[in-house]
Amino acid sequence: MTTAERVARVATRAAQDRAGRRVPMRRPAKVAGRVITILVILLWSVFPIYWALNTSLSTLSGADSQPSHYVPSPLTGTSYRDILGIGGAGNGVGTQIGRSLLNSAVESGLAMVLTVTIAVFAAYAFARLQFRLKRVIFVSVLATLLLPAYATLIPLYRIMASLGLVNTYLAVILVYTSGFLPLAIWILYNYFNTIPKELEEAAFVDGATPVRALLRVIIPVARPGIAAAGIIAFLLGWAQFLFPLILTTDLSTQPITVIVAALNEQRIVPFTLLMACGVIAAAIPGVVALVLNRYIIGGMTAGSIK
Amino acid sequence: MLPYILLSPLVVFIGALSFVPTLDTTVEAFFRVMPLDPPTKFIGLGNFRALFDNPVITTSWVNTAVYVVVGVVLSVVLGTVMALALRQRFRFRGIVLALVILPWALPAVVEAVIWNWIYNPTFGVMNSALHSAHLIGGYHVWLGLDRWLTVVLIEIVQVWQITPLSAVVILAALQSVPSDLYEAARVDGAGPLQQFRRISLPLIRPALAVCTVEALVLSLNIFDQVYVLNGIAPLGSSVMLQTYVQTFENLNFGGGYALSLLITLATALLSVAALALFYRRSEAA
Repeated sequence: MTTAERVARVATRAAQDRAGRRVPMRRPAKVAGRVITILVILLWSVFPIYWALNTSLSTLSGADSQPSHYVPSPLTGTSYRDILGIGGAGNGVGTQIGRSLLNSAVESGLAMVLTVTIAVFAAYAFARLQFRLKRVIFVSVLATLLLPAYATLIPLYRIMASLGLVNTYLAVILVYTSGFLPLAIWILYNYFNTIPKELEEAAFVDGATPVRALLRVIIPVARPGIAAAGIIAFLLGWAQFLFPLILTTDLSTQPITVIVAALNEQRIVPFTLLMACGVIAAAIPGVVALVLNRYIIGGMTAGSIK
Repeated sequence: MLPYILLSPLVVFIGALSFVPTLDTTVEAFFRVMPLDPPTKFIGLGNFRALFDNPVITTSWVNTAVYVVVGVVLSVVLGTVMALALRQRFRFRGIVLALVILPWALPAVVEAVIWNWIYNPTFGVMNSALHSAHLIGGYHVWLGLDRWLTVVLIEIVQVWQITPLSAVVILAALQSVPSDLYEAARVDGAGPLQQFRRISLPLIRPALAVCTVEALVLSLNIFDQVYVLNGIAPLGSSVMLQTYVQTFENLNFGGGYALSLLITLATALLSVAALALFYRRSEAA
């Protein structure tokens, strides 16, 4: 059924249902209802994050007191000072957090750069060039989006083990990149298709090659799409846990997710310190999401609507 | 030649690190693979038979089914409610939207560690808040005692993370519905519920299909939250967790391959089935 037919039918049905309709709610009640709904949504979305922050800024006895204190009393930065090694009570937690933050940044940062670089050229080929195997390659790449990444978990571990790459940045970056490429290509392919072809045609008239047109015309115009693909790849990389759990074996490569899970498992790290570690691990993706959310929303919806 | 040059890095990556491993999983599932106890040899369905004779694995399949049902239903319903509430413009809408997608952007493991503290039996805020509100008489041990309660509470942590994706996708679909449709319906006296059922719902069906499949794939493969909140205990275990235990704790790679293959097939079949259901419904409507 076409949209036009559906619209027509909807209109007819609405007309048929006219009898017995209630008068719409009066305005103030409606507004109050919406405000309450939005506040509940906000509470649900933010409370656990606030709770981690609250605990991380409390003393241990403050965090343990019952009933719970909903604001830190007394407010203290002890947990963060311990992690920075100033108080000396961190028991090496600070070293682990510092090094694993660096590892996370290197692994998700380089995977992002590699993913976006490969995806820009591939998406351009899919969006603009004509060639024989286009459909086959395009469909096979996108089909891997539906495969759970974990289908490849054990073989990837064995491949990396046989190459002697376990516990190296390279193994982690290669695995992340292969996992994020299909999504990045899908986002960029959709974005390139929104760019009018006339833009490059002007460049072609001036004698530019397709690669030159891509670099000089398309990439500058497609910056928001490229940003969306890059940010999403970075966030996905930062959040990885199972792959680094098996591909990294010590602090030289373990990302912060693996360290936070390990600290949690030890059951001896105080909750105040654990929550401070959690806040630190969440800080970078959190700030990225808050500041760059319009790119993220664009990227999240890019694939799903078409 | 140019297209193939542009595509060659992609083809190498996807070929070597997605296709070859997937094929490898499919083949090795039928072999006995124990790195510490060679030799590797073909055993037909031996790995699968051993999996079905293992009560821990069967438990984790049933748990995973519950993870999926709870995850899909809650995230799609909550996502729709959020999208409807955020559809109209209001002051601070941009900030609200940014805060709503926050749980999606943070690492699942870190979120699970935070929720573990919220669920803590002695000092957790969940007990404290419910007790203050007189909804519970005494403090409860939320995780690790009752199987279904454990599974549902762990899935809520995942729902908290994945619902923003549904909300954003459904919101985009809602905003692409022409507003004169609602105008016309209002003139004809249709109430909000009527407008939702007769206008919004049919037009956001593709978005709902996407959200359902996304939630299905993610909950079917739930690992991080289970690893943190349940550990490797059988009680709340998921199939993905058992794949990890089989392979990297028991070092029975063959069993891990077989379980990987089964969960991959289940994911593919259920995704296709969900899409078919949505498409058939929209043909019929």
